[in-house]
Amino acid sequence: MNASHRVLALASTCLALSSLSCQAYADKLDEVLERGEIVIGTGTANPPWHFTQNGETVGFDADIGHLLAKGLFNDPSKVRFVNQSSDARIPNLLTGNVDLSCQAMTVTAARAQQVEFTIPYYREGVGLLMRAGGDYGDFDALAQAGSEVTVAVLQNVYAEEMVHKALPEAKVDQYQSQDMIYQALNSRRADAVATDLSTLRWYLQQNPNRYVDAGYAWMPQSYSCAVAPGDQRWLNFLNTTLFEAKHGVEFDAYAQAFEKWFGETPPAPRPGFPSP
Amino acid sequence: MNYTFNFTPVWQNWPLLLEGLALGLGLAVLSIAIGSIAGLVLAFCATGKHPALRALAFGYVSIVRNLPILVIVLFIFFGLPQLGLAFDKSTSFVLALSLYAAAYMTEVFRAGLLGVPPGISEAGQAIGLTPLSIKYYVVLPVMLRNAMPAFANNFVSLFKDTSLAAAIAVPELTFYAQKINSESFRVLEVWSVTAALYIATCYLISLLLRGLESRLRL
Amino acid sequence: MDLELSYFLSEIVANRGMLLQGAWTTVSVSALAIASGTLLGMLIGLALAYASAPLRWPARLYVDLIRGTPVLVLVLATYYMSTPLGLPLTPFQAGAVALCLFCASHVAEIWRGALQALPIGQLEAGRAIGLTFPRICLYVLFPQAMRLAMPTWVTAAAEMVKASTLLSVIGVAELLLTSQQIISNNFLNLQFYFLAGAIYFAINFCIDMLGKYLSRHLEGAGKPRSPV
Repeated sequence: MNASHRVLALASTCLALSSLSCQAYADKLDEVLERGEIVIGTGTANPPWHFTQNGETVGFDADIGHLLAKGLFNDPSKVRFVNQSSDARIPNLLTGNVDLSCQAMTVTAARAQQVEFTIPYYREGVGLLMRAGGDYGDFDALAQAGSEVTVAVLQNVYAEEMVHKALPEAKVDQYQSQDMIYQALNSRRADAVATDLSTLRWYLQQNPNRYVDAGYAWMPQSYSCAVAPGDQRWLNFLNTTLFEAKHGVEFDAYAQAFEKWFGETPPAPRPGFPSP
Repeated sequence: MNYTFNFTPVWQNWPLLLEGLALGLGLAVLSIAIGSIAGLVLAFCATGKHPALRALAFGYVSIVRNLPILVIVLFIFFGLPQLGLAFDKSTSFVLALSLYAAAYMTEVFRAGLLGVPPGISEAGQAIGLTPLSIKYYVVLPVMLRNAMPAFANNFVSLFKDTSLAAAIAVPELTFYAQKINSESFRVLEVWSVTAALYIATCYLISLLLRGLESRLRL
Repeated sequence: MDLELSYFLSEIVANRGMLLQGAWTTVSVSALAIASGTLLGMLIGLALAYASAPLRWPARLYVDLIRGTPVLVLVLATYYMSTPLGLPLTPFQAGAVALCLFCASHVAEIWRGALQALPIGQLEAGRAIGLTFPRICLYVLFPQAMRLAMPTWVTAAAEMVKASTLLSVIGVAELLLTSQQIISNNFLNLQFYFLAGAIYFAINFCIDMLGKYLSRHLEGAGKPRSPV
């Protein structure tokens, strides 16, 4: 090895090192591993997804966070939940305040232009909750009543469209919090509440004998975690961990969380052909 | 801060924002009209001689002015149906804001009435006017002139209170701002435009009322 | 029509801890906002009354912009904008900041009005005996202006307590949100909104009384000189 070769080798090592250190900085996975805990943005007031119980964040989103922490550190407790409003889910990722957002976030193409989504960890739908012994017995009664029916729903851009898919003529009142839509139902301001099936099941379970499920569900949608765009390695890691939780070695932990919050057992993965 | 501004979601929903603003203005004008009439009556009660009427006016003002408007709105919308009194959401809001406005307008008009020199009612009596016509032709115009600046202030602040209608699903400006945020996440853009719309409207209202005030001036 | 009074009473007793906690949050966030807003507002008011144009115009702009914005929008904007602005605030912090900004804009106007109502001779007299401007403010102008501003300031303080209900919208568990949480368990809408109203009334009534007491007390210290 002559001098010029040595210089070249040195230079290329420097280059490799500098690009490595640069990469180390941009690589979220290394950053999280080095930090020793994962920082997850989620909310505090949307059971069964994420809510505070005895000062701790619990719910299905929180359990997904623990699953990821187990994948990272082999210790489900190495996770720090950062309380964020649902409006802050994307901004907090873009400013790097959190490693990922796990907050009952519906996957849409518009959002996918701003952040990157993991594979879904839940399939949500919409259902109708009514007062037990109210004016309408089931979904057919609601549908027949046409424009007589008022449906309370959490405010969002597609709220009206969503209700009208099931009840084309119903009046739609949009409220700003989950508490308020139930209040509308209880004070007879609304005949039914249209809300996520998961929330609906949770609420039924919490208030026995007070409500009934109208027995109709529509508008399936996917819930995924979201990360800041442009970090493929981090996204791959999360996807792998989530996939193996749903279909592989961590299925038991996933199924346990699923049963706890939704009262249902997910279909067990089968050996053999690797269909999801 | 690596944040790039993008006002597209705001301009896409511009008609909705204007629609919301128009509804808020409508609610404000209606409520203030009702509140002003009630306030005028209560102001005459408060400055009158009848002790029971005076107590009624003072009691009403001191209770309602010490209550948060949001509590009044929620009480009427979610509480009253328990007594079988269910008004629809816009009516509930107008009712709440009118009750609230009445208390503030009572104070505005009462101060205006106290500023009317007693001499001019006496002058009215001297030329043989009935007590009612004295009130209508003599006291009222002078009182209105006195009350205009305070009336304008309260008009603006009651208009701003229409933002609370969003809490009971009335689709006014704040309601649409929240709704656009829930999908676009363009928080900075949506809130700055919303605030600008409110500020501009408040400014226009004060300008209009100041114009009216200078016309009323002698 | 059944008001379920005994159930209502038992629910008040059962939830007394939550209600007290909520009322305490209301009082503390209001007190925080009133104290900080008053200090900020006095500075801005001073600028409005006495500062030269480069300082007066930003002060005027601040007051006009904040006063043209509904408090609810102020609260929502402070909360939601804090994150993209790189300074994430908790709901309580955001609420306190928004109320403080709102309070300052009101106090600034009140303070400007009070300062400008003082006869200009006061300032000149202070200068004549060689006092610096801060000393003139402290010893000559402020004591008199405070007396003039007291009644309106008390009204503004009560407005802050009322405005603190808007923090319920961003999830601060003050008295109103606490009441709503209780309502979502026992469905006593009418009763608990009424109770919340009564507590707000009581808080503001106390502020009112305190203000009347202070006004009397200040008046006792010497009648404000009214220009003839």
